[in-house]
Amino acid sequence: MHPSKLKFVYLSIFAAYICLLLPWSNTALLLRPDFVLLVIIYWLIRAPNLCNIGTAWVVGLLVDLATGSLFGQYALAYTVAAFFAVYYQRRLVLFNHTQQLFYVFLLLIISQVTLLILKMFAGAQSLGWTYLLPSIIGVLLWRLAVFFGLKTGGRSRGA
Amino acid sequence: MLPGFHHKLEQQQAPAFFARGPSPLARLVFFSALSLVLIATDSRLQYLTGLRQNLVALLQPLEVLANAPSQLYRDINEYFSTHNYLLAENQRLNQQALKQDIALQRLNLLMLENTNLRNLLQANKTMVESSLLGEIMHVSRDPFTKKIIVNRGQRNQIVTGAAVVDATGVIGQVTRVYPLSSEVTLITDKSLAIPVQVERNGLRAIAFGNGRNNTLDLPYLPANVDIRSGDKLVTSGIDGIYPAGLAVASITKIETSPSSPFAHIICTPTGGIENHRQVLLVSIPNNDTLSPNATIPHAEKGQTKTERSAKGPQKASENTPVKHLPTNTSKPHAPE
Repeated sequence: MHPSKLKFVYLSIFAAYICLLLPWSNTALLLRPDFVLLVIIYWLIRAPNLCNIGTAWVVGLLVDLATGSLFGQYALAYTVAAFFAVYYQRRLVLFNHTQQLFYVFLLLIISQVTLLILKMFAGAQSLGWTYLLPSIIGVLLWRLAVFFGLKTGGRSRGA
Repeated sequence: MLPGFHHKLEQQQAPAFFARGPSPLARLVFFSALSLVLIATDSRLQYLTGLRQNLVALLQPLEVLANAPSQLYRDINEYFSTHNYLLAENQRLNQQALKQDIALQRLNLLMLENTNLRNLLQANKTMVESSLLGEIMHVSRDPFTKKIIVNRGQRNQIVTGAAVVDATGVIGQVTRVYPLSSEVTLITDKSLAIPVQVERNGLRAIAFGNGRNNTLDLPYLPANVDIRSGDKLVTSGIDGIYPAGLAVASITKIETSPSSPFAHIICTPTGGIENHRQVLLVSIPNNDTLSPNATIPHAEKGQTKTERSAKGPQKASENTPVKHLPTNTSKPHAPE
């Protein structure tokens, strides 16, 4: 596609990264959706030639840096989610909005569960069911973005 | 045969539209392996510490940018705080200062007396700590850990292991130092343990962070231990990290079950872990100021613990290490 689009990819990821860096605390931290992964999933579906698993990995490393976790934890979680996004990308663009929403939710859960397993190996303890709240908020955010006219390739019902 | 084979391959080359480089599976395997190697290196070896420090320093401008809105909000709030409010606060602070001045006078007297007594006993001097005021920048972005980021770092001679306290009690310990900031693990984090003493009877124990909610656990104490709900826990000072006598937590709940020989004790930290913005970073004194028998506290920790679980709590107050370690005079016992 257009080389100028690459600029948008990086700009949007940068914006999501700034969102991550905002001073979240207490309840907000529990609810904070994974902005960065949402943006990556969007670009993986929209422009897989500009944003691929490698991009997800590098951005994951940056998130590792920001969260102070071990290098590679978020990177691996993002890589796994990106793999499932890319693997079914051709089908994903043909899905309607509801199906797509469900699939994005699945991708968010996959990344969170991968992260949970890695953290458990590193000695953390599970946070209970509230741990999955960011995925729900994230998918609501996705729906909101689609509602406000973000084109994700999904066709609305009946179109 | 070979040239023909190559020719065949060339003919089959996919058009640019379908070419997508290596397959997703290949990329997944490659990057997963890379991440696993990184995780292993970061968790077991120290190679990446320096790299992380430098990268976090590069991240600093972005953090300032991200913190700008909340900072602006706070500034505006402060700007519009009313005259009356400021007057009231000023009065309150003046009163507090007066009270503390009086307390300080008494403290000076007591310190002089203590020094004299120690000289008489030919005991070692107590450790003198240096401290630095820092401000909490933000809470750690990792929901799995209980950490905060403070705006003092290598530039301010902060070292890993420094204790962090606020006006009401111990908060945690510095675990990572970056050039301009440092990461403080709170006492409620699962990975942090802190040696404490019950203020009422001098019973020693180790408090572990619970990790999930903002509480501490006191494990390995027998079911009939002499601890009541409401007891204050203070630092015992035997670790050489936290100054002795700082408030840590108060006991909120004691549960015993017939199936376990240990009591299940839960305490809440007294320090305003989630409330305050200003904290004090207390650095560890150098090794040469430590007493020559500085290794004894570790021995005595183990001894009292095993003994406690063997004998039971009634003798906890007698359980001071004096009997066993007559040479240890460096640590004063808590008043009974």
